[in-house]
Amino acid sequence: MNEVDVWTEKYRPSKFEDVVGQQEILKRVKSMVLSMNIPHFLFAGPAGTGKSTLALIIVKELFGDKWKDNYLELNASDERGIDVVRQKVKDFARTKAIEKIPFKVIFLDEADALTREAQQALRRTMENYTSTCRFIMSCNYSSQIIDPIQSRCVVFRFKLLEKKDIIQVIKKIAEREKLSMKEDSFEALYEASEGDCRRAINLLQATASISPDISAEMINMIVSYSRPKDIKVVLDYALAGDFINAREKLLDVMLKESISGVDIIKAIQKEIWNLQIEPEIKVRLTEKTGETEFRMIEGSDEFVQLQALLASFVLAGQGKAN
Amino acid sequence: MKEESLNFVEKYRPDSFSGIIGQEEAIKSIRVFLDEFPKKKAMLLHGPAGTGKTSMVLAAAKEKDCEVLELNSSDFRNRAKLESILKPATLQQSLFKKGKILLMDEVDGVTGTDIGGIPELVRIISETKYPIIMTCNDAWQSKMAPVRAKSKVIEIKQISIGDIVSILSRISEAESLNKEPLFLKQIAIKSQGDLRAAINDLQSYASGEASVVDSSEKRDVEQNIFVILRRLFKERAPFLDILDTTSISLDEILLWLEENIPKEYKNEALAKAYYALGNADVFRGRIYRKQSWRFLVYQNIFQSAGISLAKNESLSGFTKYERPKRILRIWINNQKIEKKKTISKKFASYVHCSTKRAMRDFELLKYILRKDEVQKKLRMSEEEIEYVREK
Repeated sequence: MNEVDVWTEKYRPSKFEDVVGQQEILKRVKSMVLSMNIPHFLFAGPAGTGKSTLALIIVKELFGDKWKDNYLELNASDERGIDVVRQKVKDFARTKAIEKIPFKVIFLDEADALTREAQQALRRTMENYTSTCRFIMSCNYSSQIIDPIQSRCVVFRFKLLEKKDIIQVIKKIAEREKLSMKEDSFEALYEASEGDCRRAINLLQATASISPDISAEMINMIVSYSRPKDIKVVLDYALAGDFINAREKLLDVMLKESISGVDIIKAIQKEIWNLQIEPEIKVRLTEKTGETEFRMIEGSDEFVQLQALLASFVLAGQGKAN
Repeated sequence: MKEESLNFVEKYRPDSFSGIIGQEEAIKSIRVFLDEFPKKKAMLLHGPAGTGKTSMVLAAAKEKDCEVLELNSSDFRNRAKLESILKPATLQQSLFKKGKILLMDEVDGVTGTDIGGIPELVRIISETKYPIIMTCNDAWQSKMAPVRAKSKVIEIKQISIGDIVSILSRISEAESLNKEPLFLKQIAIKSQGDLRAAINDLQSYASGEASVVDSSEKRDVEQNIFVILRRLFKERAPFLDILDTTSISLDEILLWLEENIPKEYKNEALAKAYYALGNADVFRGRIYRKQSWRFLVYQNIFQSAGISLAKNESLSGFTKYERPKRILRIWINNQKIEKKKTISKKFASYVHCSTKRAMRDFELLKYILRKDEVQKKLRMSEEEIEYVREK
């Protein structure tokens, strides 16, 4: 068999038993899958916590070797329009399954990126083709999924992976790849991963591509190379009162490195506490930052909201808060 | 046709470039465009109403001894129509004159009902054997983008009050109206740079004895974006309906405000203004997601009164406002990161994640993407391999 060289794939669990974390969810899903009949699922939770993995395990358990013929995976954040639902989903949903199991499975990853029109269209499709098709949807925020869809699904909420889970995964891979891991490297990987298993594994592989001797120092070096490093520069401009350059730089960072507004916000939120300003103002800025993140999740224009936040930093630079 | 039956606007329409005042730059560009044709096949003149766009095209035709074929917004301009009328004209020779100029007046009036109008226009531009000149008020609407890309774009500036006065006094003399300079100046001011409106006003006062212009009966002109920005930024007032005086969409105005707030406001005013803009944006999001069109009221107020009242007092001085650059920069950037995108797409479908996610993690993934086996597996092209190596 062709050995896969991307570790997130190579070590993706393909059986329920191999999955770490989310034990409650696993138990319930497994019992439904064993009955050879599943409802529609909605998996909600942060990135890298096992949503796609579980979806893949479900179809592999249901269909065995033939899983690829009975499974359609669509990523809604790449194809978010109503046309996708009307064409791809419908075309796949309406053809009958030919296996023992009378339905096929569509996995709609990042379904919260679907437009509302697309979700409305999906709702009918889910009903009309229940006899031939099951949906598994994943999302980061279930609030972005319209109620009628939520009510048609069994909803599972995935939690961030715990430290011990991530370390367990890392240990197993390190063993198989014959890496020598310094003790501090596990901690560093977990810190950098923020509970996102995919990120932890990618980071491990990136670091290992340089040397098989893994240490916290090396991990942090790779992290700092791959982090949006210019956030500090953006904030420094703003604090110095130079709004125009701060904004210029911000847009630059977001575009060149294709970083989403939410990732920028996360970086800003961390950076606040390293700035040379009064602690009370830091608290106020944190509040502003939180509000900005909330607004983004609610679906506002990221760049408009970030500019409003930058303007608050301009004031903070003068020792004021708004 | 008897001279008296002509209205002043037509009667005094300049028939050569020399009669057009205050537009030297634009005239130069038109000459260059016609001389260099077919280097660029089409030209888009944009600017406020009554600044002489159509006159310039007619004058240009005369200077070059060309026939003018005009299609304006009173004509249907859907795809079929354009194909049956405009297209043959772009391919046939003129019968009597040396050349031919095709004038598409008011192209921004090609509306939703003119289905396929803009794409057909773009097609015609690429095939035409004769220069096409288009005019419009607002070249920056998104629907104009494809036309913009194919054309030389020239902005026609508003005519200054001084120039309008001198034109009015020339007409007044020629018509023996004996109007006072002050009276003419009032008309000019009231016109807000719309020469056609000023001449029409002059004619309406021609017969009477009136010597005072009621400036309160301001012409209901469409406010252009610069006027709106100036008023919102300079004046401090609870503007509530200023955004209703324009056909520019709220969303587009929001982009203009976003670009220009820091040119006017500093510190507290800056923060307050962006806060208001942020609120407008939140409501805009709700409108789109929940189709709650009533929320337009809130979006409107936050991005008018909210912006104006962000400062403590009115501002003075001249500020040069700039076009929203963000959308353009996003577009340019998208061209640049095309390779990153195609690589991410291949990787994403392989590891069951979204292209977006892969792009976000690209800095990390490039270490993995440099491995031969991975490159082979993903069937990466030479250029793509080059790209990850360089990065």
